Amino acid sequence: MSKLKGQPTLSRRAFLIGSAGTAIAFGFAGTEATADESSPFEPTIWYSIDRSGIVTINITRAEMGQHVGTALARILADELEVDWSNVRILAVDTDPKWGVMITGGSRSVSDGFPLYSRVGAAGRIALIEAGAKLLGASPSNCLARQGAVFAANQSISYGEIIRRGGPARKFTPDELAELPIKEASERRLVGKKADALDIPAKINGTARYGIDASAPDMVYARPKIPPTRNDSVVRSVDDSAAKRIKGYLTSLVLEDPSNTVPGWVVVCATSYPAAIRAADLVKVDWTTGSATEVSEQDILDYGAKQIAASSGGALVVDDPGVDSAFQAARSVLERTYTTGSVLHAQLEPVNALAFEKDGRFEIHTGSQWQSLILPVLAKALQLPQERIIMRTYPMGGGFGRRLDSDYAVPAALAAKAIGKPVKLVLTRPDDMRFDTFRSPSIQTLRLAFDARGKVTAMEHHASAGWPSAIVAPAIMHKTRDGTPYDQDAIDGADHWYSVGAQRVRALSNTLANTSFRPGYLRSVGPGWTNWAVETFMDEAARMAQVDPVIFRVGLLDGAGRNAGGAPNAIGGAKRQAAVLKRAAEKAGWGAVMPKDTGLGVATTFGQDRAMPTWVACVARVHVDRPTGAVTVEKLTIVVDAGTIVHPDGALAQVEGGALWGLSIALHEGTEFVKGQVKDTNFDSYTPLRIGDVPAIDIEIIDSTEAPVGLGEPGTTVVAPAIGNAVFAATGIRLRRLPIRPADVLAALRAR
Amino acid sequence: MTSFHINGRLVIVDAEDDAPLLWVIRDAIGLTGTKFGCGIGMCGACTVHVGGRPTRSCVTPLVSVAGAEITTIEGLEGKHPLQTAWADHQVPQCGYCQSGQIMQAASLIRDFPAPTDEDIDAVMAGNLCRCMAYVRIRNAIKQAAAQARKVAADE
Amino acid sequence: MFKKLLVATVAVGCLGVAGFGTLAWQPAMAPIAPPATASFAPELVAKGEALAGGGYCAACHTRKGGERFAGGYAMETPFGAIFSTNITPDPETGIGNWSEAAFARAMQKGVSRDGSHLLPVFSYDHFTKLSDDDVRALYAYFMTRTPVHATRRPNGIPFPFNIRYLQAGWKLLFFRPGRFEPDVTRSAEWNRGAYLAQGLSHCGACHTPRNLLGAEKFGNAYGGAVIDNWVAPPLTAGNAAPTPWTHDELYDYLRTGASKLHGTAAGPMFPVVQGLRALPDSDIRALATYFAELDKAAERLPYVSGAVSLAMSSTLAKEGAPIDPDARLYITACASCHYNATNAPLATRPDLSLNSAVHLADPSNLIQVILRGIGTEEGMPGVVMPAFGDALSDSDVARIAAYLRRTRTDLPPWPDLAVKIAAIRRQYEAAK
Ligand code: FES
Ligand code: FES
Repeated sequence: MSKLKGQPTLSRRAFLIGSAGTAIAFGFAGTEATADESSPFEPTIWYSIDRSGIVTINITRAEMGQHVGTALARILADELEVDWSNVRILAVDTDPKWGVMITGGSRSVSDGFPLYSRVGAAGRIALIEAGAKLLGASPSNCLARQGAVFAANQSISYGEIIRRGGPARKFTPDELAELPIKEASERRLVGKKADALDIPAKINGTARYGIDASAPDMVYARPKIPPTRNDSVVRSVDDSAAKRIKGYLTSLVLEDPSNTVPGWVVVCATSYPAAIRAADLVKVDWTTGSATEVSEQDILDYGAKQIAASSGGALVVDDPGVDSAFQAARSVLERTYTTGSVLHAQLEPVNALAFEKDGRFEIHTGSQWQSLILPVLAKALQLPQERIIMRTYPMGGGFGRRLDSDYAVPAALAAKAIGKPVKLVLTRPDDMRFDTFRSPSIQTLRLAFDARGKVTAMEHHASAGWPSAIVAPAIMHKTRDGTPYDQDAIDGADHWYSVGAQRVRALSNTLANTSFRPGYLRSVGPGWTNWAVETFMDEAARMAQVDPVIFRVGLLDGAGRNAGGAPNAIGGAKRQAAVLKRAAEKAGWGAVMPKDTGLGVATTFGQDRAMPTWVACVARVHVDRPTGAVTVEKLTIVVDAGTIVHPDGALAQVEGGALWGLSIALHEGTEFVKGQVKDTNFDSYTPLRIGDVPAIDIEIIDSTEAPVGLGEPGTTVVAPAIGNAVFAATGIRLRRLPIRPADVLAALRAR
Repeated sequence: MTSFHINGRLVIVDAEDDAPLLWVIRDAIGLTGTKFGCGIGMCGACTVHVGGRPTRSCVTPLVSVAGAEITTIEGLEGKHPLQTAWADHQVPQCGYCQSGQIMQAASLIRDFPAPTDEDIDAVMAGNLCRCMAYVRIRNAIKQAAAQARKVAADE
Repeated sequence: MFKKLLVATVAVGCLGVAGFGTLAWQPAMAPIAPPATASFAPELVAKGEALAGGGYCAACHTRKGGERFAGGYAMETPFGAIFSTNITPDPETGIGNWSEAAFARAMQKGVSRDGSHLLPVFSYDHFTKLSDDDVRALYAYFMTRTPVHATRRPNGIPFPFNIRYLQAGWKLLFFRPGRFEPDVTRSAEWNRGAYLAQGLSHCGACHTPRNLLGAEKFGNAYGGAVIDNWVAPPLTAGNAAPTPWTHDELYDYLRTGASKLHGTAAGPMFPVVQGLRALPDSDIRALATYFAELDKAAERLPYVSGAVSLAMSSTLAKEGAPIDPDARLYITACASCHYNATNAPLATRPDLSLNSAVHLADPSNLIQVILRGIGTEEGMPGVVMPAFGDALSDSDVARIAAYLRRTRTDLPPWPDLAVKIAAIRRQYEAAK
């Protein structure tokens, strides 16, 4: 802290701000008086500039393949006007100063854009003022570019400004919020091609993930997974057979006050292979939860009953006049759709290293929601939260699995029990058995047509496990009448089609919630709600004898609440109609297809209405009648995500997301059987492989609207497009996801 | 005790004969670029070269590599044409599968200097990319193969 | 390896007919003081070393992790374990006090120095064909090894099977002593190959089926046999591989441990190839010449490329429908190493459409290799195949095997896959 000498009025901490919109001040570091040459200029908690002009940007979002650090840094660096080669990113550890640490919902860029832009702009303004003074010029005659301030015919670099005392400038929250953000035409980094900063280390083997973390003296551990996720209690442990494994240490029955890992036994050894083998040999006798009696169909049956009951659930959308419109309808379409369990199967099995050091518990692991698990860890360890710190690692895949960082708890408890660092790694079967997988769902949709064939009302009832109900009830939304619901589990049902009087009812599938731990899986609810909505729209179009594209465009009229608005949804349904039309045009919609080949269309709107990423997809599909095999030949996808910050990263997200959608539609899906998922490794759980990749044509619309998220939207649109294409090719309608050859065959035979 | 060369360095390992090579490489030798994904030879994240051939280290017992020459992603030193192509095409997303992908692809382009899509589909099928960066993997392989052919032709 | 041979050969010992004892009696030969190393000419020792390789003596006379030639290699039989002998020149526990005549008698007549009959698991029925010069060279080689004191573990064979002289009855029935007789109508190379194959390298010990009494069937030489859950395939035209074992294929296989069109030497064949490394190329060519004729390769030569194309067409066709879960399993677990792009498969990518393991009537070899893999010293030196024994379930292994059989051959499915896999799995687990 020597650099603070001579700065009596300002303490370093005084500049720390918690989130966007709070005060920002400049001017404490980097003075001439500072002896410490390495002291950086750290105008806000979000970044610092050192004496050679290197800008280090703090990233609180977790890196899991979306290159989020690169995108956020480019937003800031663009406004700050620095040379990109002088920008570094730093993935930070947990600290209350960062505010809520969560990476999910495709929100990082969307939420980060205003904050990172404005703190960058504030820095630029402060540096121009300081530079102008040093150059003896007026700030209004100065300009910042490439990390330097330019006056008429002279310039001074940021590094030098900092070496010579740096800026002294304060912005109040209001001033900060008022700072103008550059015109799109002025952008030099945002929207331009760039290499992602996290990529080089992922090509040469030096990237260190959670599974690569180590600590002196650590022991390796593997859990012994109980028969049910909830309510398992250890009766006895017999490790006599494990004792013959060289390196076996002990088997710990975890005492977990947070009840995150009931019934877990952690098997410790001096090497991981020894822990794997010993855990196989340890015999545990459990009393189990009731889930051992529960299978997938029970969950769907339970949901069907909920849907059939006229009351219950949360009325997320509840327009007046729904019932009367149905009563007055000339015709009604009603259909029920189901989706099966889907595993995250992120390639890095979940893991955590935990140890106590200097009175604090350190947890080394990849996490998407540190702010959620920290209080849980505090409760589990019986420690104040300030005494727990989570170190940040890139993740070998997130996809929502690591929003629930439950795996940190057993590592921490084991470390506490054994008094040594414990590195807990789940084997692939361990990971899959206790994945927080995507709940099965069942949904019933109804549509009313009047005598002229106009759509007058729509109902959508959806029952599924609710992730937030389990891990984060506090974030649940409430309906107007105060009923809480998991927005993540119903997003998508509240679509942008103008359907007259609309009712959306979200039902929490209690049997799912108690039988396993429903999780957030890439796009969560929209993964199943859009399967239903977009298949249903296709059925409705066929019933109305209107082309499915024209039918949809007709409903995407942007009327009423579907007009959209600031900040993220300017243009509303009109933008959705635009991507739909563009995708149809690109894909040659309407062309005559070869035998058993068809085009199917679907359109979705990203994560939720408050942050719509407009997506449309046309799938070209061939159905092999003898086997029922569905082959996707081509996907044409058009996306409007507003301003694109990191175009290549955006494209990668859509590519990956779309292939996820395809994988879930045709290649994945497991089944919950008597308290456990059926598939526990990649011999029987078979995500898409390279040879399954169809031709893909992706277009991202050029836009200067507010940037919205791209991590998830690509996944939701593909499955219904495929299902609709199967209908176009063969006339069979599939209402269950995943699409299995046996179902196709059965449907073909039934015709 | 089993000894072998890894990235040109002789190592002598005191571990059980049937310890999977993967964990020896990661934990005993400390080269963590080689990853664990499935443990049953079905994802390719653990692919290393043994005697120049791509090998799933998670199912390779230590004793079976006695005396072998092993190369891991670290042994390519970032200089392999595939690594350049991987950067050019910005292939990795989470990156976790990529060491294995690159090690597998290295043998692909050696065995099939002008790989067709079918060759790529077959040889790379064992390498799961959960982020589904497959389009880029394919393009990068083609670029690196073309580059290698050019170098060979120039020589 | 070779373990099952014993079952019948030991059993037959009890056939020892009354009154046969006199015939069976052989004198002990006087012990000698171990000869000095210097008393053997270095060239003779070197020659013996090559021959010991060609006879892969170390394979049976060395236990896992033990000193070379010090014996103790266990061969399980239903009658108990038999342990191989120490053939280092240790006077107490090895052959240090064996005269050259005693050594020659053992090799050529199957009689120990003390006059007892050796069990025919020691292939004296082949070694009898060795020339006196070669026996002398072998003697020189073994007597100049470092003596290892390794007390022989008594065999667990119970009475009456342990009565050695009853083995003489077996000899009377099946043993044809005598040096190799060249066939003057054939080339010198062929004769050299025949000498090595029939004598020193005792190929028939595994590849010739045995009769109920455990003797090789003279009428069906190299007709193929199953030993210890491994198949020693026929070396005749009856070999199941889609392409003939031509001279070049045989040479590559025996010299390098792998050939393009047939695959890799694994399991019990590996120590053979390893031993043969000591022989010069000319000897390997001679063996190839001998077996190529046996296989009638020359007659089938014009069809090789057609046979390759035909077999490969199954590989080159895209791996089944993507929805076929067996195809997916195979392509995920196996194709990255075994796929070939053209009709010229690479030796480093053993093509399973050509591999005899897939074409044999018995799936054992395929299962063995899937479970155990191939170590770096086996097969192609330096290269390994991972062991899927701890990774794949029996049903996964069965799916892969059945898939290969279905897609790579026109042959009927293996009826007993599950049983064989379970048996080999037990063997695999026990070996750990
Ligand atoms: S970890 Fe070895 S193949 Fe998956
Ligand atoms: S980049 Fe994430 S698994 Fe391939």
